[in-house]
Amino acid sequence: MAALTIENAVKNYGQGDILKGINISIESGEFLILVGPSGCGKSTLMNMIAGLETVTSGRILMGDDDVTNVQPKDRDIAMVFQSYALYPNMSVAENIAFGLEIRKVPKHERAQEVERVAKLLQIEHLLDRKPGQLSGGQRQRVAMGRALARRPRLYLFDEPLSNLDAKLRVEMRTEIKKLHQNLGTTIVYVTHDQIEAMTLADRIAVMKDGIVQQFGTPQEIYNDPNNQFVAGFMGSPAMNFIPAKLAGTAAAVTVEVTDANGAVQQLPVPNSAALASQIGNEVVLGLRPEKITEPLPHKEADPMVTHLPMKVLVTEPTGADTMVVSELNGTQVDCRLGPRFDVTPGAAADLMVDMSLAVFFDKATGERIDR
Amino acid sequence: MVEAPMTVTRRAARLGLYAILAAVAFIYLMPVWVMLITSLKDVEEIRSGNLLSLPSSLNFDAWVTAWGSACAGSSCEGISSYFWNSFQIVIPAVIISTLLGALNGYVLSFWRFRGSELMFGLLLVGCFIPLQVILLPMARTLAFFGLANSTPGLVLVHVIVGTGFTTMFFRNFYIGLPQELIKAAKLDGAGFFFIFRRVVLPLSTPIIVVTVIWQFTQIWNDFLLGIVYSGAETQPVTVALNNLVNTSFGGKQYNVDMAAALIAALPTLIVYMVAGKYFVKGLTAGAVKG
Amino acid sequence: MNQQTNTAGRSINSAALSPLARLQQALADQLPKLVMAPTFLIIFVCIYGYIGWTFLLSLTKSRILPVWKFVGFEQYEKLFMNDRWMVSLENLVIFSFLFIALCLLIGMVLAVLLDQKIRNEGFIRGIYLYPMAISFIVTGTAWKWLMNPSLGLEKMMHDWGWTSFSFDWLVDPDMVVYTLVIAAVWQSSGFVMALFIAGLRGVDDEMIKAAKLDGASMPTIYRRIILPSLKPVFFSCFVILSHIAIKSFDLVAALTGGGPGYASDLPANFMYAHAFTRGQMGLGAASAMVMLGGVLAILVPYLYSELRGKKHG
Repeated sequence: MAALTIENAVKNYGQGDILKGINISIESGEFLILVGPSGCGKSTLMNMIAGLETVTSGRILMGDDDVTNVQPKDRDIAMVFQSYALYPNMSVAENIAFGLEIRKVPKHERAQEVERVAKLLQIEHLLDRKPGQLSGGQRQRVAMGRALARRPRLYLFDEPLSNLDAKLRVEMRTEIKKLHQNLGTTIVYVTHDQIEAMTLADRIAVMKDGIVQQFGTPQEIYNDPNNQFVAGFMGSPAMNFIPAKLAGTAAAVTVEVTDANGAVQQLPVPNSAALASQIGNEVVLGLRPEKITEPLPHKEADPMVTHLPMKVLVTEPTGADTMVVSELNGTQVDCRLGPRFDVTPGAAADLMVDMSLAVFFDKATGERIDR
Repeated sequence: MVEAPMTVTRRAARLGLYAILAAVAFIYLMPVWVMLITSLKDVEEIRSGNLLSLPSSLNFDAWVTAWGSACAGSSCEGISSYFWNSFQIVIPAVIISTLLGALNGYVLSFWRFRGSELMFGLLLVGCFIPLQVILLPMARTLAFFGLANSTPGLVLVHVIVGTGFTTMFFRNFYIGLPQELIKAAKLDGAGFFFIFRRVVLPLSTPIIVVTVIWQFTQIWNDFLLGIVYSGAETQPVTVALNNLVNTSFGGKQYNVDMAAALIAALPTLIVYMVAGKYFVKGLTAGAVKG
Repeated sequence: MNQQTNTAGRSINSAALSPLARLQQALADQLPKLVMAPTFLIIFVCIYGYIGWTFLLSLTKSRILPVWKFVGFEQYEKLFMNDRWMVSLENLVIFSFLFIALCLLIGMVLAVLLDQKIRNEGFIRGIYLYPMAISFIVTGTAWKWLMNPSLGLEKMMHDWGWTSFSFDWLVDPDMVVYTLVIAAVWQSSGFVMALFIAGLRGVDDEMIKAAKLDGASMPTIYRRIILPSLKPVFFSCFVILSHIAIKSFDLVAALTGGGPGYASDLPANFMYAHAFTRGQMGLGAASAMVMLGGVLAILVPYLYSELRGKKHG
């Protein structure tokens, strides 16, 4: 059964639509991430799910219940805020128990629940403190504890990690993932951090300008993006976009690139059938950095793999691998090489291009053309 | 911080600075000092000495007279009953206007509705109109409801005039609280008054103190509304003081005038000494923000 | 409307609510507006409604009681033919200008002096500010005694050997308005100081450090960088002080009683006298409307620039 269904939701503040017909549906126990640049409408959508903002048109369903016009307090939702929004005048224990108190849960049950949650989050020693006496990471845990205590049908996380430093962020990310796996909760999570989205989500909705650009699993989003925006937004370093011309025959379409020696090379295309009609057109080739590597012996036999002499402009060793900035068809291209492969800036290197997951976009609209 | 070594010119400059500050402090303190020593002299001493000459002995007769038997207008019972009148006006007016202001500020910050911003704007402008433009209709309204010359009438007028300011104080304070706090409480299932009582009010102590002090001084020190709307029996102390000083019945008793003035000033001065920090906050609220 | 009933064991369907619950819901939705209702009443009746009422009164011949016989702008014509009104306006111009200028100057200078890491700064500041806590009636009473022509400052100076010293402004029709300025500045300049100190404390420290490294001396830094950055404070003070000046009523009542004759009347005193003691309600209402005009002439541009500034910044 779908835990949350958003049907054609529109939000309008009077001057143009903020959200232009959102359709999303997730199953019970799924982890949905809303991701997109700031101003894309993801926080508005989350507030609408919470009932903190009205829906201009469309419906929001939880299970079978239409909650579009239901008050936030009656939706059985808990939310973790970016600023944590802990009640500063109450102790940690009181913060966690507040929602239960309002729902008139008897005192001893409240105490039990506080204890359970505190144990789960390892904040037992903090229960008597005030939020002002806690560190950022501790506040984060308390905020999550407050949400967990009510055992709601749906959890909302509004950029919960963006106020933490880099190390703590990674730690809490793991913590949230563990909680989700252990408790089987349904979560909607807003972030602008695409790494968070990739690591945490079962389903991702990539949003821009009030429209869901793509809704799918992390793998679908990463390997099979709907358009150039999604392809560019997800992944770091970002996907390379190389302007190129399609050539070859209808049975074996190729794409033309100029190598370091000035020679035009034909690279194979994974889905010739879809691109046959575009032969001779200028398109945008999308290729992830990890698909341009040093020659790998085990891949030599792959028909989608080609050797290409490429000019090395800059090298950036990161330890685990070496990022190389090169050039193809007049555009800078990021490549990800093994750390032991020796390259010299300024010289040409023999690199291997794997076209098996290459994608193609229309030059004008940025839409996928090879599906 | 490392202090730069003091050169001779620098030290002289510092000395000059302190001298100036002390001289100015003297000027600011002088009027109240003069009031105090004048109130402790008898009439003969006032005639023979000058403003700053000290009284030969501590003589509290003038204070006793001012409190209990000086003539203000037609009655000669001192200003004691008017002093209590002022409290009867000030206490309910401060409580009601502060409560209204807190609720208004809460709504205007966290429960906005269509037109609530406009309302706040109208209220702000209302704070700054000269009271003269509402005096006459207000008098007619009070008379219509049988509240003319009565203490409840005066309380009502002070609430009407003061709510704009109290709302502004609370609104400006609440707008600085995180909105997410209220969202969290709403999701926790709390309603309008529950959030106000349990989440917002416990955070409001500083602004409540500022508002109460501000309203207390404003209403205690009011003269215009007092003289227009009070009756002979319900006059606040400022009106009575003015009558007392301007009653030329027999010889001028400056010592009694000064004692009465000090009595009238005492409550706000005490508040200022005890909670001056908050008083300054009240004065600067909004003005610096803008 | 969807017709599904509760399958999950706990229904949260709005359609499933009982009529009573729905009534409660509707009430809860309207609660914020209900709470504001008394304030609605205050704003629309007691402020803006009454202003309209006063305006209508100013168009009538009302004397002791309202008479709804409209005579157009006759009362305004009468007002500006009235010598006492013209004197009060002239006094207001002199009083406001000097009061505002002196308060700003003294307040600003004191704030800068106190900003030099003074020991016991809080205590000194307290001394400069305490008159603000006192009623204008008390201030007036005190200064009336201080400036008493025979027993006040004059006598003190004579006692101290300056026998030619003469100070009788309180009874001099040409000078009496300046006594109002003295008392009002004593009471309000501390307020300006407090605002400026708050403003000075808000100035970015790094900006001052940068200026010092640029080689600017402290006076230059104050003149060229700090004080110009306090323009909004300056502006706020101006608006508040002019507001105090136009409304000034108590100080005149206590210090001079408007005298000698009506030489020290201000518009607020004129309004009170005609509306409440001399039975000239129409004329009083007209004078009140003129006062409102004066306040709005200052307030509207101020609020306009405030709101515009907020939107852009």
